Amino acid sequence: MYRNLSDSEISILEQRGCSADDWGTVLVKDNFSPGPISNAHFAGEVKLGVFKEKLLVEKGISKASGIRNSHVENCTIGDNVLISNVNSLVNYDIGDNVAIENVGTVVVHGETAFGNGTEIEVLNEGGGRELPIFDRLSAQTAYLLVVYRHDKSFIENLEKLIRKYVDKKRSSRGSIGENARILNTVSVCNVDVGSYSIVSGASNLEEGTIVSCAEDPSIIGEDVIAKDFIIQSGSKVDGGAVITSTFIGQGAQIGKQYSSEGSAFFANCEAFHGEACSLFAGPYTVTHHKSTLLIAGMFSFYNAGSGTNQSNHMYKLGPLHQGIVERGSKTGSFSYMLWPCHVGAFSVVMDKHGANFDTSELPFSYINAEDGKSVVTPAMNLFTVGTVRDSEKWPKRDRRGDPDKLDLINFDFFSPYIVEKIIRGSELLSELHESTPKTKEFATHKGAYINRLMLRTARRYYDLAINVYLGEKVVKRLEKSGDLTGMEKVREVLQPKAKSDDSSWLDLFGLIVPDSSISTLMDDIKSGKISSLDDLRRALVQLHEAYEEEAYSWCADLVEKRLGTKVGEITIEELTKIITDWKVNSIKLKNMVLKDAEKEFDQLSRIGFGIGGDEDTQIRDFEAIRGTYEDNSFVKSLKQEIEDMKAKTFTIGEETLGEM
Amino acid sequence: MELSEVKLKVKQVVARVLKTDEADISDDANFIFDLGADSMQSMLLIAAFEEEFDIEMDVEKAQEVQTVGGAVEFIADYL
Repeated sequence: MYRNLSDSEISILEQRGCSADDWGTVLVKDNFSPGPISNAHFAGEVKLGVFKEKLLVEKGISKASGIRNSHVENCTIGDNVLISNVNSLVNYDIGDNVAIENVGTVVVHGETAFGNGTEIEVLNEGGGRELPIFDRLSAQTAYLLVVYRHDKSFIENLEKLIRKYVDKKRSSRGSIGENARILNTVSVCNVDVGSYSIVSGASNLEEGTIVSCAEDPSIIGEDVIAKDFIIQSGSKVDGGAVITSTFIGQGAQIGKQYSSEGSAFFANCEAFHGEACSLFAGPYTVTHHKSTLLIAGMFSFYNAGSGTNQSNHMYKLGPLHQGIVERGSKTGSFSYMLWPCHVGAFSVVMDKHGANFDTSELPFSYINAEDGKSVVTPAMNLFTVGTVRDSEKWPKRDRRGDPDKLDLINFDFFSPYIVEKIIRGSELLSELHESTPKTKEFATHKGAYINRLMLRTARRYYDLAINVYLGEKVVKRLEKSGDLTGMEKVREVLQPKAKSDDSSWLDLFGLIVPDSSISTLMDDIKSGKISSLDDLRRALVQLHEAYEEEAYSWCADLVEKRLGTKVGEITIEELTKIITDWKVNSIKLKNMVLKDAEKEFDQLSRIGFGIGGDEDTQIRDFEAIRGTYEDNSFVKSLKQEIEDMKAKTFTIGEETLGEM
Repeated sequence: MELSEVKLKVKQVVARVLKTDEADISDDANFIFDLGADSMQSMLLIAAFEEEFDIEMDVEKAQEVQTVGGAVEFIADYL
């Protein structure tokens, strides 16, 4: 395929200002033509493709392929590549249609794993939970590696699999995949650049891998400084971001001068302006504002308000504390938490918290500070418009275009994981209600204060949510079947196919799964049954795919526990009750969300509108900018859902269920 | 229970929860705009009324109540 240059080709090259340490080590493809090469110096073993076609270097600018004004050493260059004004291009295999222009150095020095195997100190800044990053790392594998450190043999075996994978990545030659662009960049050292990547205007990239693909190119933009990193497909890192020992997952965006050290961001995270240190950011962790520091914490489906920050030490034994913020939570502007804290799912944290608390058993809470106490209002966030909007927007904002989506993400709002917590929360509130005398203003639980008055009320809200979940699962099952000729058929449809155990459920950064399944998976890693990262990937995908049936099975058990009836033996009266309760409670919940949405249009929300005018001007100005409650698309859609739900009935044989 | 007694108790509860002077609470005072109740305090008010009057209110409907006078009428229906 490759041949030596002919004397006449060498002569032409020399006439065009080219030189070589030894023309004998410069090989070319058969149909090579030297014309497009000028002022280039070749050193070491160089293999050149053909340079015949133009290529689109950047938007609207096409240039002829070729090698101009560059030093090329120990490289294999594909077909129709443009290498122009590159001070040093050393030890790289370069795919077809690549453009490298106006770049200082693109070099591999010695042997490297291109960022693979870099251990980053997530969650606990003081170490102990080191996460070895690699270019196929998923949120779930990372979760297992970071959270299950107490199972030494499991961790050792999993790390062994990763080391085996990383060792295969070691090389003294880098690759720049087909159609990649490296433009106007100062230095790229020991970096593997994936196909279709765009590196444009970056400062220094060192020891890393940029994964990219035709369906979802990665973009590394202006002034980025990155060292010891993995960037997965479809990611965008730009705007002077400074990232060190950092993993960036698929579809993530980091920019606007964000700085990150020892942190991991998984799918669809967004981080701008602020700072991350030992951050373990699961899918959809979002921080957009200046002065926001996320440190030593584990987050997912999270939104950080401006100025949010946490402390992980009090200048005693060092930064040994950590924080857990479960999925769906938010922190308000200038909220502060002194780690360790554990914030339950779908909660909102406001104010400054100098006390350590654990509200993991109280999801959907508002957590604010009063006189130095962390006060929890449980279930409050069940009815807020923000919670509903968040849960709807996540699936819509899945930016990942790579057909191979690494993070397994379950978007269910109510899942066994969440409902289990609601049930526990309800039981806890009941216990606290029993044990807290009326003379006390607050009950206390794991460092948090709960207003005694809320104990009974919040429990009712939790129970309402449980009824909604139960009914929803049963109704979906019936709807899916379509064929409801009689109760025999209904019972057959409702009978779960999967077996449920008493295992509790986990949220592995998006993968909702029974604890028992993870125990089995961990045992399989320990025993060697899972002997490669591919095996592990397959096992995790299987768990993700088993969710629907397993979740339904869990739900069927819950029906039995709460109603004393096996779904396989359900009577029409019991089914009617489930459907009616579901409709009544769902409509109630939606109406409460609507009521919350209405506040966004009330008198207080209009403050600052219609400056200089009267009340009528204020209303008209507000409506011009914000629209009206009635015309709001979210409100309209929720109202329609309520109407649809009211109208929904089920015909079983000759009976109609669910009429209102 | 007489309506006047309900009103008296409602004002006592409102004063306690919103930490305001009972004398400053008029019948037509709006919980949010006049008395400054936020979302959490609104929920607390509902819970406090339930305890005070030993009733269980429909939260969805209770949220519709805007004023002290409205609360008196709403609660009276449960008694």
